[in-house]
Amino acid sequence: MFRRLVLLTTCFALVISAGSTNAGLLYDLLHPLRSHRKSASRHASSEHPGEIVWSGLVMADNAEKPAAIPQELAPIETTLKELFGYNQFEIIGQSRTALHKGDENWDAASKHFKLFVDAQGPAEGGYAVNLKLVQHDDAQAPPDQVVLETDTKLSKRSPLVIKGPQVGGGQLLLVLVVR
Amino acid sequence: MKTFEEKWTAWLDGELSGSELAAFEASLPDRVAAEAEKQAAQKLRLLLKRELSISKLANEEFFSHQLRERIGHEGNSNTGRESRSSGWWTVPRLLWSGAFAMAVFLVCTVWVMQDNDFADQSPLTTKVLNAKLDPTAGTDATVTVFEDTEDNVTVLWTEGLKSLPSEYAAK
Repeated sequence: MFRRLVLLTTCFALVISAGSTNAGLLYDLLHPLRSHRKSASRHASSEHPGEIVWSGLVMADNAEKPAAIPQELAPIETTLKELFGYNQFEIIGQSRTALHKGDENWDAASKHFKLFVDAQGPAEGGYAVNLKLVQHDDAQAPPDQVVLETDTKLSKRSPLVIKGPQVGGGQLLLVLVVR
Repeated sequence: MKTFEEKWTAWLDGELSGSELAAFEASLPDRVAAEAEKQAAQKLRLLLKRELSISKLANEEFFSHQLRERIGHEGNSNTGRESRSSGWWTVPRLLWSGAFAMAVFLVCTVWVMQDNDFADQSPLTTKVLNAKLDPTAGTDATVTVFEDTEDNVTVLWTEGLKSLPSEYAAK
C-alpha cells in the first residue's frame, strides 16, 4: 500500500515539474494569471493603443526662485530633487508619442541635444526601446556625436531617468515616462 | 433362494446352521480344501481385527478443541485472502488518494504561482539592458544603474562625461 502511494505521488510530482518547465496545456493550467497577463499585455499594446510615452530633455539647476516643476515631472519630483540636488527642472525638449504597434521611432530635441527613441516592440509589462543621446554642434566635426546609447525595457510603472552631461551650472537629464 | 456365493460367504462367516449348513457342506466338492480355506479366512479376519482396530483417543475434548481452533484459523485466513483479492483500490483508499493528490497539486500550484509572481515583478520595473558611452564624451566615463524605490524610478547614472558650456542648455 505504501509503495503504491509513493509511486502515485512520484508520478504526480514528475508531471507537475515537467509541466512547470514546459509550455503547454499543463503550463497554462498552472499559470492561469501569467497567460492572462500576457494576452492582456498583447491586447493592450497591439489592439488598443493609447499608451503614451513622454520623452523629455530636462535641464536641472539651482535657482533662487525656482519655477514650478513641469507637470510631466511632478510624479518623480521627490526623486529628482533628492537624487540630483537641484531645485529647478526645465524642459528644453520633449516628445509625446502614442504607441500603436510598439515599434515606433521618435525623438525629443533641443538646440544641441537630440534623444532618439527606437521602440522595438512590446516586452512583458512594457516596451523594449533603444535610446540614443546625440549632441549636436555645428562648430564641431562631425556635428552629431552619440554621447550615450542604451537598450532598455521601459516599464509602464517605472519612469527612466538618465543623467546626462553637466551643462554650465546645471545638469542635463533625460526622462522617459509611459502613461 | 441364495446363490452359491452367498451361501459360501455365510458358511465362511459361520452364519449357516441346521439343515441349510448340512445341505451346503454336502454340496461342497472338496470338503477338506473348503475347511482349510475357511480357517484361513478366519485367521485373516482375526488379523485384520487386531491390526486395524481404531485406537481410542485418550483426550477427546482436547482433540476436539484443536480441531475447532484449526478450522477457525483457516476460516480467518480465507477471509483475508478474499479481501486481498478484492483489489487495493477500495473506495476509502481512492478517496484518500484523491485527497492526497489534490493536496500535492495545490502545494505545487501555490509554489509555482509564487515563483510566477516573483518573476512578474520584473515587468513593473524599467530595466536597463545595456549602455555605452562614447569615449569622446569622456574617457573615464562610467555608467551605473539603480532603482529609486520611492517613486519607482530607474536611474541610469553617468559619471565622468565632459562638461559642456551653458549655451548647450538652450531650447
